[in-house]
Amino acid sequence: MTELRFDREVYAGEAIDEAVKTWSRFADFALSETEAHWVVQVTPKHEAAARQIVGEFGNFVLGLTVDRGGVS
Amino acid sequence: MSSENQTSFTDIPEAIASVSGTDRSVSMTVDSELYPLQAVYGASYIFIDRCYVFIDRPAAGSYRITLSAKESVEEVEALRRIVGEFANELLSCTWRHQVTQDNRVAIETVTVQAIAGAMGEPSLDDLADFDFTDEALDDPLGIAQSWEEKHGRPSPGPSPEAKAEADADAEPKADTEEASA
Repeated sequence: MTELRFDREVYAGEAIDEAVKTWSRFADFALSETEAHWVVQVTPKHEAAARQIVGEFGNFVLGLTVDRGGVS
Repeated sequence: MSSENQTSFTDIPEAIASVSGTDRSVSMTVDSELYPLQAVYGASYIFIDRCYVFIDRPAAGSYRITLSAKESVEEVEALRRIVGEFANELLSCTWRHQVTQDNRVAIETVTVQAIAGAMGEPSLDDLADFDFTDEALDDPLGIAQSWEEKHGRPSPGPSPEAKAEADADAEPKADTEEASA
């Protein structure tokens, strides 16, 4: 399991929700939040591709955030 | 990233970039006053096909961008090239962002004119619905006033001939009133 902490002033929460839906085929996700971060615990379903799944998930969240024009 | 795994590039300030040999990643910390978030977004977006990119804020007033190479990186030199290219791209995005901010009014004006031109001429229905009762011109400085109106010069009165004719017209009327009395 890998814990990703996305800064709330950098990443859009809606982007994380959308990315979790898309990537739920490849990993299990547990979402929580703190005052400053969106916390996502990622458990890849394929251990051999864990690094790729976590990394591509982070890129996907970043891409969706940029497409939205940033954090509104 | 633990400190024992970090090495520094000799030609990049240690406070800006650090590299981890274990997970083939490199981190770069930049000042948010020099590099706005939109520029960080732009530069990061360009690198997501080559690297896994994460952005965080280690402290107020700074962003830390972590680039983790997707492909296997054998040498530290390859990571140095990545962070160098990212720094250049970040600078380019920052400058373009600044140019856009400086020319925002001109860009919006041209865009509005282009859209208005594309809409074509108003139809007869549009003209029928147009409210012509509104003041056509707001002229607080009196620019649209004539010279005489603005400087109080009296407008020229009736000519002497016209005044004589007016008097002549008035006299017969007085005579008829006396006769009737």
